[in-house]
Amino acid sequence: MINLYSQIRSQRGFAVVALFATALAFGEVAPPAAEISEADLVRQYRERCEYVIDQTVANTDPSDVTRGSSFTIAANLFRGENLDWARERLRLSNDPPTGAMFWMHPMALLMHAGRDQLNDDDWAFIRELWRTYFPYRGDTENHWVMYYVSLYLVAEMFPDAGPADWYNGKSSKEIMADAKEFILDWMRITTSYGQGEYDSPNYIEEYTRPMALLVGWARDPELQQMGKMMMDYILLDYAVENLGGLYGGAHSRLYPRYLLQPGMAHSAAHAWLLWGQGEYSSNGGTLMIAMSGYTPPSILFWIASDRDQAYVHKELKRTRWRFRHAGPNAFEVDGKKTIPVYKYSYVHPDFILGSSQGGLLQPIQQQTWSLVWREENLVGKSNTLFGLQPYSSPIEGTMYFNSDWDTVTDLIARSKVDYDSPDKLEGGSPYEQVFQHESSLIALYDIPEGTRFPLISTLFSRDVNRRIEDDSGWIFGQGGPIYIAYRPFAPGEWKPVDWTGLLKGGAGAWFSTGFKDLSEGSECLVSYSLKNGYIVEVAPVSAYATYQEFQEAVRALPVEIRLKPTPKVRYTNLDGVELEATYGGAPSVDGQKVDYASWKLFDGPFAQAERESQSLEMIYGSERYVLDFKNRSVEPSVLESQ
Amino acid sequence: MKQRILRYFTLGLAFVFPPLEADEERTLFVAFAMTKAQEASSIPTDSGIFLRNEEDDSWRRIGPVIQSMNSLAVDPAAPATMFMACGNGIVRSKNGGETWRMVTGWRESDFIKIAIDPKNGDNIYATSVWGFHLSRDGGDSWTAANKGLEETYCRPIIVDHRKPKRLLLGTGNGIYESRNAGDSWTRARNSPQSAILRMDRSRKNPDLWIAGSEGEGVYLSTNDGKSWQSVAEALSETNVYGVSLHPENESRMAAGGWSQGVWVSNNGGESWEYRNSGLPSKNVTAVVFDENHSDRLWVSTFEEGTYYTDDDGKTWKDGDLYGAYVFDLDFVARAKE
Repeated sequence: MINLYSQIRSQRGFAVVALFATALAFGEVAPPAAEISEADLVRQYRERCEYVIDQTVANTDPSDVTRGSSFTIAANLFRGENLDWARERLRLSNDPPTGAMFWMHPMALLMHAGRDQLNDDDWAFIRELWRTYFPYRGDTENHWVMYYVSLYLVAEMFPDAGPADWYNGKSSKEIMADAKEFILDWMRITTSYGQGEYDSPNYIEEYTRPMALLVGWARDPELQQMGKMMMDYILLDYAVENLGGLYGGAHSRLYPRYLLQPGMAHSAAHAWLLWGQGEYSSNGGTLMIAMSGYTPPSILFWIASDRDQAYVHKELKRTRWRFRHAGPNAFEVDGKKTIPVYKYSYVHPDFILGSSQGGLLQPIQQQTWSLVWREENLVGKSNTLFGLQPYSSPIEGTMYFNSDWDTVTDLIARSKVDYDSPDKLEGGSPYEQVFQHESSLIALYDIPEGTRFPLISTLFSRDVNRRIEDDSGWIFGQGGPIYIAYRPFAPGEWKPVDWTGLLKGGAGAWFSTGFKDLSEGSECLVSYSLKNGYIVEVAPVSAYATYQEFQEAVRALPVEIRLKPTPKVRYTNLDGVELEATYGGAPSVDGQKVDYASWKLFDGPFAQAERESQSLEMIYGSERYVLDFKNRSVEPSVLESQ
Repeated sequence: MKQRILRYFTLGLAFVFPPLEADEERTLFVAFAMTKAQEASSIPTDSGIFLRNEEDDSWRRIGPVIQSMNSLAVDPAAPATMFMACGNGIVRSKNGGETWRMVTGWRESDFIKIAIDPKNGDNIYATSVWGFHLSRDGGDSWTAANKGLEETYCRPIIVDHRKPKRLLLGTGNGIYESRNAGDSWTRARNSPQSAILRMDRSRKNPDLWIAGSEGEGVYLSTNDGKSWQSVAEALSETNVYGVSLHPENESRMAAGGWSQGVWVSNNGGESWEYRNSGLPSKNVTAVVFDENHSDRLWVSTFEEGTYYTDDDGKTWKDGDLYGAYVFDLDFVARAKE
């Protein structure tokens, strides 16, 4: 493995790191290292936290009680500002309460952060809400985490409250015992088998919010400690695949707007708050973190920021629990079935190419693979390329959702309005198999006759410039600091990203707002060949004297493609590594089969975790930071020597 | 009008019917989510469980308002004790609906149907998409009990009134039987291979059972659920969400499914007749014969309303619930006012 640590020397309370080297072209001499002390890191982070809270308060219009979320009310109460507005807005926005766990967790924040400002009438009003409003627990992992963390923390405020005081007829003690057991079990499962709703650039905040609540306000020392550790864990999971605020790689869930403009995702707002990357944007998750007092360990900052050298990072995740159609690869945890997800990311100073193995790994919003690249200014940038086989089926729906075969697809599309569209940009397919080695990716498709949407689609965003369809069969392009080569196995046609056709009866709302701006100029290469595939090869611009030279190098690469009876490819990449893959079989690198069975939870230069270990070791130079969930402990250390 | 269900005594048969109270009243309930107006949202505009008020032909909400409420069960021996099968878990009232308590914890969720031992109200059985659950203490605590099941996805559950330790369960791959009150399960002979969506048992002839399946249509058992035969050829590839046996006439039965509408047999399942004319949709999610009106059949269509007929499907009357996705439509013992 490349040496990441050569430029880093760690001393007690002081570190010298190569920071913000990101604008550098790969291979160039690094600039003088920026110096920053841990104290300065914390100070700057705390300043950003204050800014987030201040901005939320500053954006409050105290003359308008019809607008303002519970987050905003909480921030105002926290600051002691606009109290009359906050009281009125609290009442108006809860007449009646809605949103289940999305109501619960900002309400918990409001109650804790605003407790010094709330008067007896306010408390009586709030207590009545918790007595009468019966929130749905939801059907996704993030729903449950938000539900139980919120419920625990509110019950903890009133430990002697009896069954008559709560919507569910349980006492506070019963509620806390049940909720705590769930929270700790979720952490055990996640740190043993991988997160189910893994690496989502938008749903990351549905985890950082509840963890922030635990960090900031849990009185139970065990839950507070575990909340802090789990926050570190989730952020590390992001940090290792972060490129200046872009959450690279394969994702469990992603909405189209974030697929098209990765810099808009909630993860980017987190990168700004936590690591000072990118631009500030208003975000509930960052507000909660800011108000909670959570301070990330400095090692997270180094890991998220140091992109001086390229590295491979692998992860083991899992699918959401499946209660039907689990399939032959399923394994059981405590009676619930799931499938392993093998993630592979190549994190380069200029780009991240990342993938999972393909297949149905998550309902609805899976991104099987993606390429993102660094841009100086992410605003308005569609700096991405990715592919999919648009698939929708009651098989997928009834794997995960308690709905009937004939209604599940329709009901999914009531909120995820593009789910049942051939033009959609996200989703897994059982007919897709993906394999990656560093900056080379191979995708194979074997689509049965009669499949609902018999096509594959690859998005070439508007920021893939200088596109050339070469006589060799390769398509070339340039995205910011990288060259891209794409070799389709079958002909296709270019189609604009047309959002209007996805919407049924004008539905869509937030889902489609501003989509013209997001998608205009981007195109999908759509191929209707059922036996299909492609190669993606990426290289930094700095590695070649000219664009032409890159093209010539790619043209010279040996490629053998066979589509029948089932797709197969043998390909030697720009580094001279021979990759071979057959649909349905194990891929190989220089003749060696990829050993998925040995995949670890985290396996990269910055993070190591064994399956079922309930622990995670963060690594940066001589620094180690071990999260030990079995023993509920954190162990930071500095190695004496390398 | 309300009609009292008397204890059944069937001369010539070697059994006594379930120990229904002589003055037990039965009432129709519906569990639904209002999905039709649900746009750009994963949340229905309303959901809940409602009882039919025959005084004014209206529906009266019972219990809390929670998203994803799938069914209601009432202890026939103690009708003030009720259980709701919900996404959140199981919610119980012991005082006729005055107060409710969630009696399950975080490990239990997504319940579909609940059945109560008619002789011992401490034995409660509940199905969920995650498996079969039972309680031996009236619902205070719950245990997963899936021994012998190939798939744990479970939907209908019926307690054999004659032998309350015997249960019939519809799972993701057919019908299973337990003879030890749910401790273990064996597969029924000739059961459909696919998911069982709905089951019913005749009150008139307890040897007669009916099941609706996912993709394999309607199955009947005439030997008390020991073996099953496919009937209603027109529905043989249909997802049949509703089946019902007439409470008094064992020759009458009904079934309804997706895109095929409602079908009725008046000769014990030998032949079936299409009875959907006049209904606004062929997408049927629930079917039940009325226990208080002997000639009445109720049918719920997907989002297009619930209807009833008093003339064997020749004409249909509006039972309201336009926009609803009905998960369950059935009769339960009525708590005394």
